Parts: sequence; structure tokens; C-alpha cells
Amino acid sequence: MTDPVEEEFTGRFLVLLQEDAIDEGVAELGAIAGFDPNSGDLDPDTVQVFPELGVAVVSADPNLLTELNGAAERPGPVQIVEPERVVHLFDAAREEEEPSAEADESVLTWGLQAVGADISTATGKGVKIAVLDTGFEKNHPDFAGRTITTKSFITGEDVQDGHGHGTHCIGTSAGPRKPATAPGYGIAYEAEIFAGKVLSNAGSGSDGGILAGIDWAVSNGVAVISMSLGADVSPGTPYSQIYETVAQRAMAKGTLIVAAAGNASSRPAKVAPVGHPARCPSIIAVAAIDVNRAIAFFSSGTVDKIGQIDVAGPGVDVYSSFKLPEKYARLRGTSMATPHAAGVAVLIAEKTGARGFELWARLALTALRLPLPSTDVGGGLVQAP
Amino acid sequence: MTTSVDQVMVSVTEGSLPKVLDDLREAGLVVDTVLEALGVVTGTVEVRSIPALQSVPGVIDVERQWRVQLPPY
Repeated sequence: MTDPVEEEFTGRFLVLLQEDAIDEGVAELGAIAGFDPNSGDLDPDTVQVFPELGVAVVSADPNLLTELNGAAERPGPVQIVEPERVVHLFDAAREEEEPSAEADESVLTWGLQAVGADISTATGKGVKIAVLDTGFEKNHPDFAGRTITTKSFITGEDVQDGHGHGTHCIGTSAGPRKPATAPGYGIAYEAEIFAGKVLSNAGSGSDGGILAGIDWAVSNGVAVISMSLGADVSPGTPYSQIYETVAQRAMAKGTLIVAAAGNASSRPAKVAPVGHPARCPSIIAVAAIDVNRAIAFFSSGTVDKIGQIDVAGPGVDVYSSFKLPEKYARLRGTSMATPHAAGVAVLIAEKTGARGFELWARLALTALRLPLPSTDVGGGLVQAP
Repeated sequence: MTTSVDQVMVSVTEGSLPKVLDDLREAGLVVDTVLEALGVVTGTVEVRSIPALQSVPGVIDVERQWRVQLPPY
């Protein structure tokens, strides 16, 4: 099921070049694949360059893939190398993606019930959680009276959430249990919230802003960082050494980082690898399950030794707060599973006093084992203490 | 001759901040933020100067910044 040879390839390679260094990138490709980029007329069978897209298609001996990947991994103009795929019509996907409506959400969401938040006495009181995302809907009535510290790391945008994703994740991890309109949807409903805007209102961001958000959270003594963000990668892609260093340093200072595994799978046909930065060993990678405790079709999984799923959380048909005027939304994604796990981590931190790696251990060891492959759900479904 | 610049992140050894900043700047880094709690510096640099950053004493790793995009609903 996870066998990558199910994909069909053309024998050519797609190479993503840095936008403003196309010439340098082509020169580097030439050095590897054995053509002279300055020869004037390049044989289109050898290399095609699409400057507007910053993409080159290169015919190269399959044995050169290692070298091409090496070029992509080094800093420089060659960014990503992928085998060119044969594409077929997407004919049999997403059947039965509607969860069977057996969950009673008259009081609390199915997700809160699945992680046992409804039977936990922990509230998150006295524990700080940071959600690094698209910001926060400052006018949401469900958060009136809460202590919320905000900061934007996006140039030209304040923390106000013009997207909705961040407000949804804050709602799941730390929103209310008894809003004016049921159901309650927040796990650590008395936690102190730090809302860092590291993704723009269009939902995009880069490592610089994300790292600045992590630094802000660590400096503020946050116990848990929830990051429902990432970039998809090819199997075998090394994890970022810098994020790994950062996560280890954060953990040593008492801050645990929880991140979304990614939504790149099309199960059962294809299981995609855990994305960046969740694939770092010292960042908790969260997979998504549905109301029937089945793995979500989109949930990225463990496909090699790099980037392993650690735990799972509810990530399909997740009801939570949203930007105004919508106020609420039902969303799916490992983005929604992640704040469930982060919220549970906050409850454990409150109840046990654990921080850093001890908190990781308690979160992982108390997860409810599921009759699913560990490559899909890690240690299982996170459980409130 | 095109001059291409890259957004990078640089991790440094514990205790090397802020001293390492001068050397990074001298090696071509235009510093954006100094993340003291993490021991990380972000900034922009000409692509050809990246190896010079990597050889600065106190530098652990230099990586290009990734871009992240949420999927549309």
C-alpha cells in the first residue's frame, strides 16, 4: 500500500529552481547531468527550462538522481528534485468521506469526547500554549474575558485572522467548553493563549516567521507550541537540522513543539511522507483520524526512517471557532488533529507539572492504542489525563 | 551576471551570540532577526556567499528557508 513503485514515472526529473537564480540553477544541473548550459541551443530532449515557473525538466540517468537530490538538499539554486510522474484521471477518490453521523455533538464535539476531555478534571489553568498560525479573530465572542497575548510575524498584517485557520486551531486547543451556542469545542479551556501570526491571511509563510514565532513562545515560557502548518516533501527528504536543533533547545527550556504531519496522502492508493517541519525527530508529528477511529484518507504517514508519526488526533469534521462573520466552521486536516494533541499536552502539563521531554513521554505513553498501523497513528489517540 | 539572494536560517552554538553576528555580516549575511532563545539567526545572503556563512566559527547549520502554504478549503 505504501509501495512507491505504484507511481509511474517518465524517466525525466522535475527540478524546482530558486525563482531569482534560474541561470545558476541550470548551470548546476548542467554540471551534474553533463550538458553545457552555455552552448546556445540546448536540446529540448535534454533539458527544458520554464523560467516563469522556475522549473526545469531534465533527462538524466536514474543513477544521477542521488546527485540531483544532493543538489536540492544543499543551500543553493536547486531546490527540489522529483521524478516526473505519469498522471491519470483521479477517478475513484474520496468515497464515503462523510463520517457516519453517530457522534452526539449536542454538548461537546466528537473530538473532545474522543480524547476524553469530557471526563478530565484538568482545564489547562496556569499553563501557556502558543498557536502559530494565521492569527486570531479578536472579536470572537467565545473568547471574551480570556487572557490572550498576540503578536504578528507577518510584515504588513496585524494579528487579526483574515483566514480563519488560526482561529479554528486556537478554538480546538484552548477554546470554550460552554459557549453561548453548543457544542463546546475547546480542550484546555483555561489555558493562557499566545496567538502568533506566522502565516499570512492568504495562508502562506516561511521559516523565518515560524522560527521567530517559536522564539517568541520559548521566551514567554510557553509549555506547548501547536503548529498546524508545514510543507510537503518527497520520500527520503532529510529533516531540517536547524528545526531539529531549535526543537531540542526549546524542549530543554520546557517548550514542546507539536506539528501537523501533513495532508498529502490519497489513501489507500498513496501514503505521503510526513512534511516539514513535523518530520524532525524532536517535533511531535500528529496524524488525523475520523469519528470511526479510522485513519483519514489524507493523513500523511511514516514512509521511511525519517519523519515518523508520533500520535493521532481527531481531524475530520472538526467543529471549532472561525473568523467573523462565519464564527464557526467544520474543517478537516492534520491541522485540526494537531491542536487536539497540543490541548491534551497542556492538560497533562497542568496535571503532572511535566515539561519538555517528560511531557512528550507522558503524552505518547498515555495515548489510546488503536488497531491501526503505528506507521499511520504512532502510539495512538491522545488522551486527556 | 545576476545577483541572486536567498533567505536563510543559521543555527549557532550556545553562547556564540551576539559575537558571531559580526562574522556573519562580514561573510555577507544581511541579518533579519536574531532569535536569542533558539540560537538562530535569519536573514538574506547572496547564494554564492552561503559557503562562507557555513565556515564562520560558531555556525552549526545554514539552510534555505522553506515556504509554507495552507491548503485551500
